[in-house]
Amino acid sequence: MIIIKELHKKFGGNHVLRGVNYHIHPGEKIVVVGPSGSGKSTFLRCLNLLERPTGGEIWFDGQNITAPKADINEIRRHMGMVFQHFNLFNNLTILQNITLAPVKLKLMGEEEAKESAMKLLQRVGLSEKADAYPASLSGGQKQRIAIVRSLAMNPKVMLFDEPTSALDPEMVGEVLEVMKELAESGMTMVVVTHEMGFAREVGTKVVFMDEGNIMEENDPREFFNNPKCPRLQEFLSKVL
Amino acid sequence: MEWFESVWRHIDAAFIEKDRWRIYLNGLGVTMQVAIFAAVLGIVIGTLIAFMKLSARDNGKPTVLSRIANIYIDIIRGTPSVLQLLIMWFVVLKSCHNGILVASITFGINSGAYVAEIVRAGILAVDKGQTEAGRSLGLNQVQTMRYIVLPQAFKNILPPLGNEFIVLIKETAIVGYVSLSDLTRVSNQMTSTLFDAFTPLIGAALIYFVIIKILTILLGMLERRLRRSDNH
Ligand SMILES: Nc1ncnc2c1ncn2[C@@H]1O[C@H](COP(=O)(O)OP(=O)(O)OP(=O)(O)O)[C@@H](O)[C@H]1O
Ligand SMILES: [Mg+2]
Repeated sequence: MIIIKELHKKFGGNHVLRGVNYHIHPGEKIVVVGPSGSGKSTFLRCLNLLERPTGGEIWFDGQNITAPKADINEIRRHMGMVFQHFNLFNNLTILQNITLAPVKLKLMGEEEAKESAMKLLQRVGLSEKADAYPASLSGGQKQRIAIVRSLAMNPKVMLFDEPTSALDPEMVGEVLEVMKELAESGMTMVVVTHEMGFAREVGTKVVFMDEGNIMEENDPREFFNNPKCPRLQEFLSKVL
Repeated sequence: MEWFESVWRHIDAAFIEKDRWRIYLNGLGVTMQVAIFAAVLGIVIGTLIAFMKLSARDNGKPTVLSRIANIYIDIIRGTPSVLQLLIMWFVVLKSCHNGILVASITFGINSGAYVAEIVRAGILAVDKGQTEAGRSLGLNQVQTMRYIVLPQAFKNILPPLGNEFIVLIKETAIVGYVSLSDLTRVSNQMTSTLFDAFTPLIGAALIYFVIIKILTILLGMLERRLRRSDNH
């Protein structure tokens, strides 16, 4: 579904991604872990071209999305992204947050979009917040809305960049719960997180990123019980 | 008592006798006309210049447009507005004999440079995450600007814009240089008619002050309302 070939990203002289190669298959839940500054966010943001790779290729559904003539806006419709800081649109109500893109991109009529938004809100137990503004919501509620907003576009893959890192501890659970349900529904997911419990439980693959490259990749059990590279062993001993 | 009578005589002579208050009122009319026309033009030019400047943002490298915008802002900020007015009146728009028009255009161009900075700062103050979220949903740059960034930037822009208008009202006090009879000029002329400098000048100052005070209060109310609607 997503094929990453020799992906490089430099910020000026800072060589952040150093030739990443990876395949993501439909239905997989890839959990990306690694120390701060190792390039996890940059990697994820390259996948939907929020960051422009400086080298290599990314293929999505048989299309080279890093080609100069690729239609980025069209490609992004099929890739949902959830941010650490939610990034709900502050000037819009919850319902408008969800319906804006489908309506403006003419994928749905206003009424149809509202209906489908209400269904999604129900799914995360927040339908009574439809007319509220983001500022009145808790962090956990905001993040659940942000997930739903992406889902309203019917994406083929969902990218999560530390979705629970900005939350108070008591709200982490409710967001992870929504993500678990999403995983069970068969969604292809790439999740950068520090939640090792989630990686173990939900991940089909866990990836260790360090110094701009993927140093190790394995199924969760092997990954945590039998880490091979010393950097990963050291990392795990710190976080577990 | 005698002192009081003498003060009253001066006020009477400066404002009431021969319906002289009309002269100040006409002067104020000229002042406000120039300020309002200039403000409208300033907003149009300023918004345009702001977007020209912002065209450099994405890659950090300047574009042709952003260079032009910077030169424009530099020139306007680096020269006295009196000179800008004289140059427009005697050189650039020499063939135009409508003083109000020339003054309005001059102050509009002048104000545009300041408005550009206000608009630009207002847009940049909107969290980058808002744009990223919009773009990640597949909205293009224009759609993201229009539906997400600009409505939020508007709240940042409105208060300083009101401030700029207030500054503009005071700035226009130099239009006498191109023979416009604004509030400042008519009160200045009145001093020689009456052989009394104190009353007309203080009177004019009071008129400016009251108008600006009222506008400042209104602006404060607007600002409080905008802030309240931030935390719904
Ligand atoms: N927009 C940017 N401009 C310049 N440098 C950047 C930019 N984004 C990231 N970097 C740099 O790239 C490196 C990797 O950053 P990245 O955010 O990908 O790390 P990360 O693994 O997500 O870390 P964390 O766990 O702290 O989120 C860092 O050195 C960072 O300073
Ligand atoms: Mg990160």
